[in-house]
Amino acid sequence: MIRLAALPVSLALVFAAQTAQSSFGDLQSKPAAKPAAVSYLFPEQISVSADKPTAVELHFKVGDGLHVNSHTPHDRYLIPTTLKLPDTPGIRLTGVTFPAGTDFAFPSNPQEKLSVYTGEFVVRAEIAAVKGDHLVRATLHYQACNSATCMPPHDIPVAIDVIAE
Amino acid sequence: MKRNVVVVAIVVFVLGLLGLAGWANWQNRRQAAAAKLAQESQAVLIPDSATTGHMVSPMVGKPAPNFTLSTLSGKKVSLADYKGKAVQLNFWATWCAPCKIETPWLIELEKQYAPQGFEILGVSFDDLDKDDPKLLAKDKLEIAHGVEQLKIPYPVLLDGDSIAKAYGDTDVYPTSYFIDKSGMVVAASFGLTSKSDLEDNIRKAIGGNAGEGK
Repeated sequence: MIRLAALPVSLALVFAAQTAQSSFGDLQSKPAAKPAAVSYLFPEQISVSADKPTAVELHFKVGDGLHVNSHTPHDRYLIPTTLKLPDTPGIRLTGVTFPAGTDFAFPSNPQEKLSVYTGEFVVRAEIAAVKGDHLVRATLHYQACNSATCMPPHDIPVAIDVIAE
Repeated sequence: MKRNVVVVAIVVFVLGLLGLAGWANWQNRRQAAAAKLAQESQAVLIPDSATTGHMVSPMVGKPAPNFTLSTLSGKKVSLADYKGKAVQLNFWATWCAPCKIETPWLIELEKQYAPQGFEILGVSFDDLDKDDPKLLAKDKLEIAHGVEQLKIPYPVLLDGDSIAKAYGDTDVYPTSYFIDKSGMVVAASFGLTSKSDLEDNIRKAIGGNAGEGK
């Protein structure tokens, strides 16, 4: 009886396993998100002296053909680029220095200069950590435009392993 | 007897597995259908120019979805209130630099075409902290300052995000939909174009001829 049942049961098992695998595989894959206008490049891991503020250069890249407002835009309504670190036990952001922006003007309004970042830019952050390993989950807040359109403000994660010795 | 129990157990297990796989397939198809629907209603970016983002909107040729939003003074405004008028819905935000460039053009064009039954409704996409009354009041004040600075004479409606989905989930600004007197979307423009482009689309709305998005 078992032998008779074995073949169809085996075939059904193989079919079910394959179907389930492909189905769940697809379920797990989320729809492709729109690429962010800014990407965090590096570092992913740093070593610092424990309890001593240490400067870290965070490298970012703005997508081709796009710009984001600098940390100090000329117009009060424009959204500045900022770096935030939520309260994280054992680690503090003791200072952040943003680069100066470069001038940009929309072709339709060449007189009005905006202060923006394009291409790669570096934010200098000062981090103080107690002894141990920490995962910093900071966010860069920015608002991006191209030469004709603007996108809503956006946050990207800035994740860094901090080893304080 | 023991063999029968084993066979029954295996069959039940296989049936369960098949059922689970079927459920996963159904979920999958449902998600794919939802994704397809979302994709169909979204504007599509066509990189046809180095300097401007021209898009094709599937909204053109369809009735403009109705909505009711509040003005800065709290007055409720529905698109349905504008039936019989040619309307430009202008999606903008105070943080949008190109929006500020086109606003003076819009003010002039509204004045020019108002005698022909044309009106503009500004729809602000500035964030509103709806859960915090103090922050919400501050947000509204900021928008009011922006409106004042730009000397916008037409109504500016708040909370554009709440109608974004109905209008194709557009998330680039400025965006305008041009609606004719029968309530059909006859043209759409994405990004900063030119005053003459805007005027062409306004004429389509006034004339009631369906046109293409630009």
